[in-house]
Amino acid sequence: MAYSEKVIEHAENPRNVGTLDKEDPNVGTGLVGAPACGDVMRLQIKVSDAGVIEDAKFKTFGCGSAIASSSLATEWLKGRTLDEASAIRNTDIVKELNLPPVKIHCSVLAEDAIKSAIEDFRKKQSAKRGA
Amino acid sequence: MTDPFELLGLARRFSLDRAALEQRHRDLSRTLHPDRYVQAPPGERRMALERAVAVNEAFRALRDPLTRAEALLTLHGLSVGDADRPAPALLMEVMDLREALDEARRSPHKVAALLDQVRARSRAEESALASAFDADDAPDAAALGRARDALVRLKYFRRFEDEADAALDY
Repeated sequence: MAYSEKVIEHAENPRNVGTLDKEDPNVGTGLVGAPACGDVMRLQIKVSDAGVIEDAKFKTFGCGSAIASSSLATEWLKGRTLDEASAIRNTDIVKELNLPPVKIHCSVLAEDAIKSAIEDFRKKQSAKRGA
Repeated sequence: MTDPFELLGLARRFSLDRAALEQRHRDLSRTLHPDRYVQAPPGERRMALERAVAVNEAFRALRDPLTRAEALLTLHGLSVGDADRPAPALLMEVMDLREALDEARRSPHKVAALLDQVRARSRAEESALASAFDADDAPDAAALGRARDALVRLKYFRRFEDEADAALDY
């Protein structure tokens, strides 16, 4: 498998690896996985009261492309509003990292992780308002 | 796909007698051995060789419970693909296990303990596969769904076992 330079760069120096407090009402957690390869990816966002993503962390156990996809996603998320974050498409990640066709599902996984983190955050917020 | 069970003359079941599988493989390999086809016409020789290769592939597929379950699902028109999303509870368990493994990396006995724990989970999924596939003559959609879920869990646990084995070798 020939990895692009950008994939190798992110896989060797992943950005924003770590954990945010998943109990924090301002934190949204997305946990996704691809059963075909046994990968698991966690992506978390911390959203300010103004609705801007002020921090993003990830932890991925998987191949280099899965790590690079989630690492890139956390870089892109910081400073974005939730709507801007929702607009990130897996194809953007594919383009940026030059992912080969067999690794496109890694970028799909990262997009799913972003969506599920946003969904988790929104669920928490509506629960808070409802309470 | 060619049916590996049919090729080896075995019933299409998840539970199988390992010794019988090995015996079939040995017998067929002997029958199809190139030495027996030295005098045969080239067409026949080539067919025997192709069949020997297929028999080896079928043997390898059926030998391992994970690939055996995949073969059975494929024969029922199902598969586990990139687009499938595992249950959240499984992902949480796997994430916890992988993080625990990361922390345990420097202490072999901790890695070994995690490995034992996960191997027991794998055995349980293999039992689940056996009851899903073999309970009736032909598993229904619900049973195949249970088999598929068990296979996904088994894939994750196997992946963990590989990582833990690698950590022990390190």
